[in-house]
Amino acid sequence: MPNANQPGMTRRDFLVRSAATAAGTFMSIGLPSLVESGNAQAAIGSGMPGFTPSIWFTITPDGKTTMHIVKAEMGQHIGTGLAQIIAEELEVKWEDVRLDTPLESVENFAIYGLAYTVNSGSITTEFDRLSRAGAAGRMALIEAGAKVLGAKPADCRAENSRVIDKSGKSIGYGEILQKVTIDQKFSYPDDFKAIKIKPFGSYKIIGKSIPAVDIPSKTNGQAKYGIDVFLPNMLYGALVIPRTRYGSKITSVDDSEARKIPGFVKAVIVDNTLGKCTGWVVALAESFPAAMKATKALKVEVDPGPYGRLSLNDIFEEFSEKIEKTDEGAAWVLEGDVDKGLAGADKVLEMEYSSDMVCHATMEPLNATVQFVDGAWHVYVGTQSTSFARMTLSAYLSKVLNQKPEDIKIFVHEYVLGGGFGGKQDYDEILAAAYCAKESGRPVKLIQTRESTFATSFPRTPTFHKLKAGLKDGKLVAMNHDICCGWMGPRFFVGKKYGTDWLQLDSWDAKKQDIDQWSIGGSDHWYYVPNHRVRAWDSDRTTWAVQASALRTVSNSYNMFVVESFMDEVAHALKRDPLEFRLSMLNGKGGNRGIPNSGYAPGTPSDYYMDRLWISLPWPNENSWPQYESATVGGALRLANCLQTAAKKAGYGTKKLPPNSAMGIAVSSAEERQSPTWVAGIAEVTVDPKTGTYRINRLTIATDPGTVINPVNAKAQVMGAALWGASQVMSERLTYKNGAIEQSNFHEYKPIRLADVPTIDVELIQSGRHPSGLGEPSSTVVAPAVANAIYNAVGVRVRHMPITPDAILEGLKSKA
Amino acid sequence: MPNLTINGQSFFADAPPDTPLLWVIREDLRLTGTKFGCGIGVCGACTVHINGQAVRSCSVTVGEAEGALITTIEGLHPSNAHPVQQAWVEHQVPQCGYCQSGQIMQAAALLSANPAPSDQQIVESMNGNLCRCATYPRIVGAVKRASEIMKEGSKHA
Repeated sequence: MPNANQPGMTRRDFLVRSAATAAGTFMSIGLPSLVESGNAQAAIGSGMPGFTPSIWFTITPDGKTTMHIVKAEMGQHIGTGLAQIIAEELEVKWEDVRLDTPLESVENFAIYGLAYTVNSGSITTEFDRLSRAGAAGRMALIEAGAKVLGAKPADCRAENSRVIDKSGKSIGYGEILQKVTIDQKFSYPDDFKAIKIKPFGSYKIIGKSIPAVDIPSKTNGQAKYGIDVFLPNMLYGALVIPRTRYGSKITSVDDSEARKIPGFVKAVIVDNTLGKCTGWVVALAESFPAAMKATKALKVEVDPGPYGRLSLNDIFEEFSEKIEKTDEGAAWVLEGDVDKGLAGADKVLEMEYSSDMVCHATMEPLNATVQFVDGAWHVYVGTQSTSFARMTLSAYLSKVLNQKPEDIKIFVHEYVLGGGFGGKQDYDEILAAAYCAKESGRPVKLIQTRESTFATSFPRTPTFHKLKAGLKDGKLVAMNHDICCGWMGPRFFVGKKYGTDWLQLDSWDAKKQDIDQWSIGGSDHWYYVPNHRVRAWDSDRTTWAVQASALRTVSNSYNMFVVESFMDEVAHALKRDPLEFRLSMLNGKGGNRGIPNSGYAPGTPSDYYMDRLWISLPWPNENSWPQYESATVGGALRLANCLQTAAKKAGYGTKKLPPNSAMGIAVSSAEERQSPTWVAGIAEVTVDPKTGTYRINRLTIATDPGTVINPVNAKAQVMGAALWGASQVMSERLTYKNGAIEQSNFHEYKPIRLADVPTIDVELIQSGRHPSGLGEPSSTVVAPAVANAIYNAVGVRVRHMPITPDAILEGLKSKA
Repeated sequence: MPNLTINGQSFFADAPPDTPLLWVIREDLRLTGTKFGCGIGVCGACTVHINGQAVRSCSVTVGEAEGALITTIEGLHPSNAHPVQQAWVEHQVPQCGYCQSGQIMQAAALLSANPAPSDQQIVESMNGNLCRCATYPRIVGAVKRASEIMKEGSKHA
C-alpha cells in the first residue's frame, strides 16, 4: 500500500547531540521530531530525558556505534553494506560497529521513516545521506575531541574511532562522550547539503570485502526467522488450501472430524475485509502437526467466486484480443513517428512473444505470529516492509474491530527473512493471524505449508507481446512493442483512481492514461532507435484473479527477455553480428531512451521516484534532500562498455565451441530507467537436438553499478541473480486452472538445483559513479542470452519463457 | 511416548508417534536451526543426522527415530566450528540462510563418509538441497575448503 502518507518534513535543524541518561551518555545523530502532530518525542523519550532519538546511528560511551538498519535482511547483507557507508565517513573502527533493527510503530515510523526494501534500491537511495550523516557525526566528534585535547578542531582528524591532534595525541570516541556534552546544530537542509563527502578512490571501508555481520548466525542455527518465534500460550494455525487463488467465499465449515484430532482448538473463517485472505479457513491447534492434520479433516463448502472457472488459456486469449484494440492501448514510450518509420521500411519484422507465471517460492514459507497484549497488537514476522505491514493491519483491524485506526496500537517486530524476492510485501498471514488471535484470545502463529504457500502465492503476471521492427538500409529505424498483462499497481492501491500517482505514470499520448511502471518498465531500453513506441494494455481481471505481484526485477524479467531476444532477431534479419549491431545502437544518442530522464519538474511523480518511494526517511515536503548523482549518468555508453567487457571475457567470436553449442548475448538496465544498474550477460549453451534439452555451460556477467560497497557480497548477489535468471528460463513455470494455481510443492515447481549450475564469471566494473543496486539486475540478461544462444546453436527461436525442451524440439521439427 | 536422543541428550517426546521428527525438534525442543521447507523431503532444509546419515527430518516420524542418535545443526560442533561451518563462513556462503543448516548437515555427512569428494560426488550428494538464493557456486567451494580443513586438522592431530 505505497499510497500511505509519509510524514512530511519541513525545514528544521539537524542535530548531533549527546545526552546523559540513566543508562549513560549517548551521542545520536538525526532529525528530531519529524511529525508535526505526532507524539514521537513523548513516547520514545520516556525514560530517556533529553535524548533525541537517532535515525542513523548511536554512539555509546563504551565507544561502540550502533547503526540502525530499517532495511530488511533477506540475504543481501544490507546491514553490513549500509554500516560500511556510515563507518567510512564517521571514521569508526569496524570492530566497534553494531547493527540493530528498529521496532516498527507509528512513533518510530516518524523517526526512522518508511521501512520498505525492494527494487534493489537500498544502497542507491541511502548512500548519499548515510555518508553525510556519518560525516556530520565525525565533524561533531572532532570538535568535541579537540576541546579535550586542547587543540584546534582544524588541527585534528579522526581515525579508527579516535580524534587525533597534530602532535599525535588522541582520544577515543567513547571517552569524548564521557567528558564532553555534544550539542551541535546543523541547519537543515543547507548545512547538511554543504557537508563534503569523500570522493571515490579515497575509501578505506567502502570497497572492502568485510565479512557480512549476519553470516555466522546463519551457519550455526542461531539466526532467528519469523517462523522461529515462540510466545507463551501460543496456538498454531494452518491454512486450508483455498478453493481459488482469489475471490472465493466460505459458505460453511464442518469441524466434526477435526474435533477428533487431539490438540485441535477451532476452525476460523478469516474475515475477508479489504479483499484480503479471501476464502481462508485456518485450523487452530496446540501444535502445528495437529493444525495441519485438522486442515485435512475440515469439510469446507465454498462459493468459488468470479474466477472459479478461469484458466490460463482464457487469460492468454483475452490478452491476444485486447492487444488488437490499438485505440485502447496507452503509450509508455513515444519517440519519433513509428507508423511512418514502419511504412517507409524496406522490411518489417513482426513477432509475438509471451511469458508464463512464476512465483517467489521463498525457502521460508510465509508465516506470521500475532499477539494482542496490554492493549496493543504485536506482530512478529520477517517482511520486506514492516511499515506497510503495520499500515495494512491497521486498516484491516479498523474494519474488523470497528475502531478508528489511531486507536489501534500496532508494533511490528522484524526478523530475518528466509528469502524475499518481492514475495514478502503482502501481509495476508499477518491479517489472518491477527484475526485468529482475536477469535481465540491467544497468540497465534500462522505457518503456511509449502502447499498453501503455492496456492496463495503472488505470481508474476503472464504476459503477451507483439513487436514490429522496421528495417531499412541495414538499420533498425522503427520499433513498436505492444504489451498486455495484469498490472500489479492496482492491487497495491496505486494509481490515479486510488489518489496516488506513484508508479503510475501518464501515458505519452494525448490520453494521459495511467501506466503501471512496475508492469511495463524495461521495455524503455537504452538503444538508439529514432522511432520507438511502447504501448500497454492492462488486464485487470488477470491482476485480481492471479494476484499479480512484483517478482525479482519485476517487469524487467519478461521485458528484457522479449526486447533482447527480438533485438537478436533484428540483427540476424539484417545479417549483422548481434554484438556489433547492439554496440552500434548503444551510442548515447537521443538520450538513449524513450522518456527523458531529466524532463520532470522537481516533485513530479517520476523525478527521483526511487528516492521518493524507498527513502528510509520521511520525504521532505519541499523536496530538499540533496539530489545525488543519478545512476543514469553515462547512459548507454556504460552499457556498451559492459557488453564489450563481457564479450572479451567470454571469448565471444573467438572461442571454439563443440557442436550444437553457441554463445548468446544480452544487455539490461534493470531495475528502473531512473535507477539502472548496467549489465551485460553472455550465455554459452549446448543443445541436444535429439531431446531438445539444453545445458547452460557458462555465464559471463559484466556489470557496472558505479561504486561497489562490498565486492565479495556484490559478487554473491550477481551470481545469485544470474542463477535466478537461469532458473526462470529453464524450469520455473506456474500454471492456473479453474481459478487455482496448479503446482503444490517443489516436485512440481522446480527452481534450479546444483546439478544445473553453470560456471559463472563475474566482472564488477567500478566506474566510480553513484552506487546502484545489485540484488536483481543481473538476473534479467540470462533468459534472453540463453534464448539467443539456443538460436545460434541450433537455429531455433523460442519466443516463450520458460524455454522448454518441447518448444526446441518443435522448432527443430518445423525447420526440418 | 517415544524416547529420543538428540544432540547427546535423551528425552521423551510429548507427541503421537506419527509426528514428523522435524516438528518435535522445532516445537518441543525449540531447536529452530532445523528448518521447515517443503514437508515432503524434496528441499533438504530440515536435514539432520540420524546415526551419522543425512536424513530429511520432515519425512521421518518420531516413532521411527526412537533409539537413534540424532544430531541437529546446534549439535554439530560444541563451539560451532565444525570444518564445514568454518568453510561456510570463510567462503561467505549464506545469503538469506534459511536452507543453510540443511546444506551444512548434508555436507558434513558427505565429508564424514568421503573426506575428499570429487565435483561429481559433491553434486550427487548436495543436489537434493534446494537454495533459492542459489548460493550453489559457494557451496561447492566451501565443501572443498572444508575437506582441506579436515585434512589439515588430521595432519596436526
